[in-house]
Amino acid sequence: MRHGLIAWSRDEVPASALDARVAKLQAATREERLDAVLVYTSFPRPAAVAWLTHFVPYWNDALLAVFPDGAPVLLASFSKRMNPWIEQTCRVGEVRSAPNLGQAAAALLSEKRASRVGVVELDALPWRIAEPIAAAGLADASALFTRVRHPADQFEIALAERAHGIARRALAAAADGSRLASHALAAAERSARLDGAEDVIARLAPDLREDATLLRMEGDAPLGARWALELTVSYKGTTVRATRSFASGAQPVSWREAQSWFERTTAASAMADGTPGRIVSYRVDVPLGTAPLDVWDTDGPETSVPLENGSLAVLSVNLALKDGPWLAAAPVLIGQRALA
Amino acid sequence: MSTHLRSAIREERRERLDSALAEAGLDLLVVAGDPWRSDYLRFVADVTPAEGHAIAFVERAGAAKLFVETPAEAARIAKEQPGLTVTWSRSAIAESDRAVRALGAKKAALAPLAALPRRLATGPLGATVQQGTALLDRLMLVKSGREIEAVRKAAALADDGYRVFREAARAGRAEYELVAEVEAFFRSRGCPENFQILGSGGREVRGMHPPGDRRLAAGDLVTTELTPCVDGYYAQICRTLVIGPPGEAQRRAFAVYDEALRAGVAALAPGVTAGEVARAENEVFRREGLGDYVTAEYTRVRGHGLGLYVDGRPMLLEDVPQVFRPDMILIVHPNTYHPEVGYFVHGDTVRVTADGCEVFTRTPRELFSVSA
Repeated sequence: MRHGLIAWSRDEVPASALDARVAKLQAATREERLDAVLVYTSFPRPAAVAWLTHFVPYWNDALLAVFPDGAPVLLASFSKRMNPWIEQTCRVGEVRSAPNLGQAAAALLSEKRASRVGVVELDALPWRIAEPIAAAGLADASALFTRVRHPADQFEIALAERAHGIARRALAAAADGSRLASHALAAAERSARLDGAEDVIARLAPDLREDATLLRMEGDAPLGARWALELTVSYKGTTVRATRSFASGAQPVSWREAQSWFERTTAASAMADGTPGRIVSYRVDVPLGTAPLDVWDTDGPETSVPLENGSLAVLSVNLALKDGPWLAAAPVLIGQRALA
Repeated sequence: MSTHLRSAIREERRERLDSALAEAGLDLLVVAGDPWRSDYLRFVADVTPAEGHAIAFVERAGAAKLFVETPAEAARIAKEQPGLTVTWSRSAIAESDRAVRALGAKKAALAPLAALPRRLATGPLGATVQQGTALLDRLMLVKSGREIEAVRKAAALADDGYRVFREAARAGRAEYELVAEVEAFFRSRGCPENFQILGSGGREVRGMHPPGDRRLAAGDLVTTELTPCVDGYYAQICRTLVIGPPGEAQRRAFAVYDEALRAGVAALAPGVTAGEVARAENEVFRREGLGDYVTAEYTRVRGHGLGLYVDGRPMLLEDVPQVFRPDMILIVHPNTYHPEVGYFVHGDTVRVTADGCEVFTRTPRELFSVSA
């Protein structure tokens, strides 16, 4: 919970872009004969509402109600005096102060005579909100939302590229010769936040020769001769991830080969031939719903839902090389290209 | 990275939890959380999710298992907590629902209401939410000696963090640049969590918010609350500074908030209610003809509990009957809007003692001035 810059630049995301996203959801809502779609947002689950409106809650939570026609209504459990701040940072038709989100949602649905209501991630909706609206005939609208949310439009791609730039510069800042995890993390954190990051989640493997597990790092640890840092960076509601493995002194040959393979893989957005070493694990994360990134595909038994080419994603890999573990991650557009 | 203190607190909490479960006749507790509401999870399993939902199944005097939603989280938490069985799936909620339905005759309860997803609440344990939440709320309200030590360390870090904030504040700097300096400082001290909001400007400022791109200007009031976390426990400090020399109205306003803070701290003692402490703070404003500004129109609370969550119980509001007991920890902060100068904050983290309270944060209570 470490929020940095939150601001809405109309140059980066014009109101018309947000209106177009809402219109896509409204069209799907009409097709499914729903009277409303409710989208929950909170500190750890801001992505869906941010994509629709640019609103990012810094604490508390809110519920966006999208009806088949008209502008969305944001029910926000903040003090009413924060409404001007909310209105400055996002595009909605109306902000209603709602200390009790469930009761406010029930009143709004009744006012709009909504009897068939879709909820994005219905299973996860907090019970204190779901209980008062249980009579409304709730249906899960997760698949509907994922369908309209992809592929990425030009504005989301631009924000993702900015976030990736922030992450790359922060990773470079971490490689300043620090011998302590806390110093490397502080350098990365400072770089990212001065660069405009809205949030930075860091996980670090302090000594790759011992273990390649990325840790949250509470406290400190000495950095080994080889270590890795993963940064999940949000910028204006769009989140990407970048991971880099560091070696003191000259990079091992096998690492250079791995970097080349990873760049070919992300450039083509498909696993390139000639994998150096062994792929221990890989993962593709995509913003499917309310979370900034969800697991979409892995080397494990979980199966992925179909997505259109051009959807924003992050590829993370863990390779076993002759010089030890090597970790990397970078954003891509599925089936198309790497992000700048 | 666990410290010795953290390990000791973990064991201590587990013993208290097992005793409470035995007393309540429960075999198992199912506890949900996420990166924001991780307080209950921290208490039962010392787990702080970095992403996704996490749901713990903690057996009385037995094993604990955790469902998470990414392989990275599963690997991380398993490494950090070798005693915990961690598995991941796309939906920790669905996985937990299946596990709840397979519990058989075990007597179990769900918690907490604040973070409970609909699917679990509508499942077989739905009727147990009040019981499970109340059980944990009781355990989390009064702190042990080790928990107090962690908050004391967090309070010292908050003081240091405010010094960094003050040094970073100058005309021309953007709000988010100040926060960048503070967050980098906390990271350099091994602190992975901090809740911080701020405000800058004059009479037009009605509250605090995350940092924006506004640049500080001479004459601005700059408010902030910093809330760093040490070994899972938060402490908070609220202070206000002026860019350049304070004006007369700003000095007068500071005197009111300082007196209100002193009045709240002076009122705090075992047996006193949260409502009485809030009233002590608010009476200062009423005496100054500022009674309208201690209503919900202009302010939220006059302080709140601290511990594993940044905004815990009890809330300091005049209608809250919670009685204070020794070793409860809270922040007293008479933060509100002032009609002459704008939103103003001033607050300290305190511990209720046997006969009063002890102030943990040490930053001087003054209206700081930094060069324009």
